[in-house]
Formats: sequence, structure tokens, C-alpha cells
Amino acid sequence: MILTGKEIEKEVIGGKIIIDPFHKSNLNPNSYDFRLGGYVKVYKNNVLDPKIKQEVETIDIPEAGLILSPKKIYLGFIKERMGSNFYVPIIRGRSSTGRLGLFIHITSDLIDIGSINNWTLQLHATQKIRIFKDMLIGQVTFWKPKGQIVLYDGKYKNSTGPTESYIWKDFNN
Amino acid sequence: MILTGEEIKKEVLNNRIHIKPFFSENLNPNSYNYHLGPIILEISDSVVDPKRKSKVKKIKLSSKGFVLRPGRIYLGSTIEEIGSDYYVTTLIGRSSVGRLGLYLQITADLGHMGSKHCWTLELCVVQPLIVYPKMKIGQVSFWEPFGAPLTEKFDGKYQKYCVPKISEMYKNIL
Repeated sequence: MILTGKEIEKEVIGGKIIIDPFHKSNLNPNSYDFRLGGYVKVYKNNVLDPKIKQEVETIDIPEAGLILSPKKIYLGFIKERMGSNFYVPIIRGRSSTGRLGLFIHITSDLIDIGSINNWTLQLHATQKIRIFKDMLIGQVTFWKPKGQIVLYDGKYKNSTGPTESYIWKDFNN
Repeated sequence: MILTGEEIKKEVLNNRIHIKPFFSENLNPNSYNYHLGPIILEISDSVVDPKRKSKVKKIKLSSKGFVLRPGRIYLGSTIEEIGSDYYVTTLIGRSSVGRLGLYLQITADLGHMGSKHCWTLELCVVQPLIVYPKMKIGQVSFWEPFGAPLTEKFDGKYQKYCVPKISEMYKNIL
């Protein structure tokens, strides 16, 4: 079951959901609006090979905004530290973001239960778009799971900013 | 929990789900198929700026259809008014249109509980694709919420519309 905005607030106060900083004004009927952090990463290579560790470049988002090209994937991050050991988060764009043609993830909207950090966003622009730091870019919903909970202990644990793909590690095993 | 097609029908008859017009033949095992409305807005800015109102070109779909091009955003709408005060809606494409490379929403598939209107669709194609008015284009699911409602009545920016609406992010970007 999906939590209502009121229930999200209750569980943030009760400590079962982490949203830091938390502002009540960002609550929606069934989600919480989050902000874009201040920098992004882009892959230096054009052809991406999942077997190879990819070099990235970090770009600060200036006050005047940063124009995203439709030809690149930009890795951003959520300004708020978020997560839960009790509920499953699913992230989405706000409809205001979607109407501007900006994808905030690439078909991977599910966050592991127990992954509490500044989640990475996979930004993809349909048309050239200007982004601003701190903009209200997306929303997170929380879902009640069924079954015994095993917390996330994966590759991206404790990441604090945009984190590039570590899929190359899968090939070395 | 997600509602079955039979449960969606039951709740439409109980007035706890709003789908107008409603025809049982559009029910799927866990969703309801919606149709594409006749107006498309093409976003025509060279650089989209969330702090400014989008420039648009309005297109009225004829029975001959209209070719959507990759690299552009088109806003369409559902013919149906859809929503519920009791369930959360999520809106996706049909697999039949996904197989043709058409996105119906751009990572914003969630409907706010309490909002009932024709939905704006965020159309984006991988290859050029022709769309036709009234085509059966996507599906909507309904989910049971947990917890008390946030407010008695939801009053968002995009309430009460039956045509595609451009982003109003410029009103509250921060």
C-alpha cells in the first residue's frame, strides 16, 4: 500500500522514514517533493561500455542554471538525505518536470529498502532544458512491503552525491 | 495494493472512482484503457526554461493522424476524466504503444488522490510515430492508500482541466 502524505509526515516524525531536511509544505496527497542538488556528473566517453569503469566529469550548476543536452545522460542527486528501513521508496518526476520533457530516472524508479542517502537522479532531456540547483524536481512515494525485510547492502550504500554506474564490478566476479 | 479490473468497475459504480465516460470493454485485469484527446501542444522553445512559461504550437488532430518526431515534447490529454478521492492513480502506456517506442509520461506517472480531470500526457517518441485522435493509447491503475488523507480536498495547480496543460513550474520552482 502507498502511504498518504499525512502518514509520510507521521513516519518522518516517528523516525521510520528519513527525509532531511523535511518541510511540511513539500508534502503532496501521496508523496513528498524533493530538490535537485548543486552539481551533476557526465560520462567522458560517448560509447559506454558496462565492463569498463567510466571516467566522469563533475559540473557545478551555476546560479544562472545549466543547459542539459538531449544527447547526454547527466547524473544528479537529491539535496535531501532520504530513505527508510520500513517502507519502499519509489521516485518520480513532478508532473511539472515531465511537462518540460525532463526524465529524472531511466526506468529505474525503485529504491532499495534500507538505502538511506542522497539518491542519484538519471537526468535525460527530451529537448534542451535549463536546470537550477534547489529546484523542486521530483517526488518520492513510500510503499508498505509484504514479507521479511532484508536491508540494502549494495554497491551504492552510503553514497552522498551523484554516483556513476558500478556495473563494471558485476563483470569482475 | 493494486485494484483488479473487476474492483475498478465496482468502485466506478459506487462513485468511489471517477472515470467518465466509462465502458466495461476498456477494463484490463488490473487497469482501464484511456483514449487520446484531439488537441496536442508541441513545446517550441529552443531551450526549455522552468522559470518561464513554455511556448507552444497547438495542433488539432485530424483523422489522418499526426507524426510525432523524436527530440520534441508533445502534450496531449486523455479523453476521459479520471480520478478518485479514495484511491491513488498511476498512469502508464499500453504495452502496444510501448512496443512502438512511445512514452506517455516522462517519469511523472502519479496522480494525486482527490484530483479528477482529463490527464495531460507527456508524449515523446523514440522513432517517428503517427498518432490518431481517440486511439486507445494508455492505461490507468488504482492503488489503495495507507494512512489519513493529507487534506480534506486536494487543490493542485492542474485541477479542473480537460485540455493538455503546459508546466506551471515557473510558479513554484523553489
